[in-house]
Amino acid sequence: MSSRGNIKKLADMLESKKISCTELTQSYIDEIEKSNGELNAYVKKTPEIALDTAKKVDEKISKGEKLSSLEGIPMTLKDNISTDGIETTCCSKILKGYVPIYDATVWDILKKQNAVLLGKTNMDEFAMGSSCETSCFGGAKNPHNINHVAGGSSGGAASAVGGNIAVYGLGSDTGGSIRQPASFCGVVGLKPTYGAVSRYGLIAYASSLDQIGPITTSVEDAAIVFDAISAYDKMDSTSRGRQGAATVDTLNNSIKGMKIGIAKEYIEGVRDDVREAVMNAAKVYESLGAEIVYFDLPVLKYALPVYYILACAEASSNLGRYDGIRYGFKAEHYDDVNDMVKKTRSEGFGDEVKRRILLGTYVLSSGYYDAYYKKAQNLRGTIVNAFKEAFTKCNVILAPTVPMTAFENGNAISDPVETYLTDICTVPVNICGLPAVSVPCGFNAKGMPIGMQLIGDSFSEATILNVAHQYETAVPEAFRASDFGVKL
Amino acid sequence: MVDREEILKIATLSKLFVSEEELPKLTTDMEQMIAFADTINNAEDASTDFDNINNLCNVLREDEVVPSLDRDKILGNAKDIDDGHFLVKKRA
Repeated sequence: MSSRGNIKKLADMLESKKISCTELTQSYIDEIEKSNGELNAYVKKTPEIALDTAKKVDEKISKGEKLSSLEGIPMTLKDNISTDGIETTCCSKILKGYVPIYDATVWDILKKQNAVLLGKTNMDEFAMGSSCETSCFGGAKNPHNINHVAGGSSGGAASAVGGNIAVYGLGSDTGGSIRQPASFCGVVGLKPTYGAVSRYGLIAYASSLDQIGPITTSVEDAAIVFDAISAYDKMDSTSRGRQGAATVDTLNNSIKGMKIGIAKEYIEGVRDDVREAVMNAAKVYESLGAEIVYFDLPVLKYALPVYYILACAEASSNLGRYDGIRYGFKAEHYDDVNDMVKKTRSEGFGDEVKRRILLGTYVLSSGYYDAYYKKAQNLRGTIVNAFKEAFTKCNVILAPTVPMTAFENGNAISDPVETYLTDICTVPVNICGLPAVSVPCGFNAKGMPIGMQLIGDSFSEATILNVAHQYETAVPEAFRASDFGVKL
Repeated sequence: MVDREEILKIATLSKLFVSEEELPKLTTDMEQMIAFADTINNAEDASTDFDNINNLCNVLREDEVVPSLDRDKILGNAKDIDDGHFLVKKRA
């Protein structure tokens, strides 16, 4: 744990001139060159941009100017976050060559702080997948064992951070896409409350579920990044920004007397090693003075089909814009406009994206709308109410992040429904717009990381990060680094 | 259950071609996915009207003129342009 860079440690090293920002950045660039062939975490490297920024930071340091919290820290962005002048593809053939002409708000905020952008990270195509293997660039690999997947959809970010070739990464989470790869790669992943972080410039998958958040090696880093990016943004009509003080200030609060809830439905059906690790964490919390309360959340069994109906419905609408006319890939041979659009989409989208567009179109089509979309939307309300009720019994909910550890490469994509089941513990949070953080809670017999998530009520990021940090302090060995990357 | 004609109809609505070779696997996948989606119809309590999450409501901005994106930059991402316009082939 001590060998890898974390934000405060690196900021101290920069300010005390133990290392220059250029040297720090170069060490990450060198390690990316060494490791990315194996990890496939980056799909676009931006060393020139990184070194230019590092130079600016070094100039500030030489003048004795104070640095902001993320200034000069090497980081990455998922390839669905728009970057002015830097190709952004969502790891889809249909967006190959697309260069955004504006920055996503999160990147605008970080760029102004001189965040050092090392590159754009790998992801499942349009964030649709749980293994990163639907990426048109091939999947990112797990830094704890490259024969296993990094998870998805933000697999590249988790692989880069877990592989110590970025200090932190921004990912997006529609049904678990930050937390699931964070769990698989043994790092921390925070999915903020819907509306806490601006979605402006995030290429849309399912707009009522999508949310940007950080992937980091420590809870403190997640808090620092979240505090920096959780600002109200007039460019996002669902933006509210962070409600309350900086989360990093309350990480060390005592959790004595706090009620941590466990819903039986989250624990049933997960693999034995995962259940055992999560229940061990509950014991740690008891030893820290928290009270564990058990309850039922029977409506959870409908969360996954509700999620897939709503996410695919929204995706079928959001992805209607890819027609080959304004940006990205365009079919070469066609007869007329309709033929061009159909050929562009058929040749440009991968199989999983096509499946989800088709399912989304089906559930929205005349004759099926009431039976699927409307019913799922109503059930969404029922699930929201069930969580509201749960938070009258506890302060946070403890649950596994994924029912299993990272699967081996190539094992995830044969049966779509089987793959969807891996999202069973993560999707309820997106359905309800709640915040949740995945933190490492041990390793299985094969040495693969296990993750648990702490789920809070809306805008309670400070509480879940506090609870997560208390575990991290008590059980630092759960946060063991992989052998890859920069050693400091 | 979903049949091949239905898949072809949905594909047309989605502006996607489905080849004869793709059809059997896609029909099986869609059948499984729809059967999975169907499990929500076992839920008895589905009468909760869902409006939005976290009580978000529309906030209208003032109708002020602000700088827009540069037209040439926007057109820079298109494969075919002509005199400041996106070029699209005529319908045959």
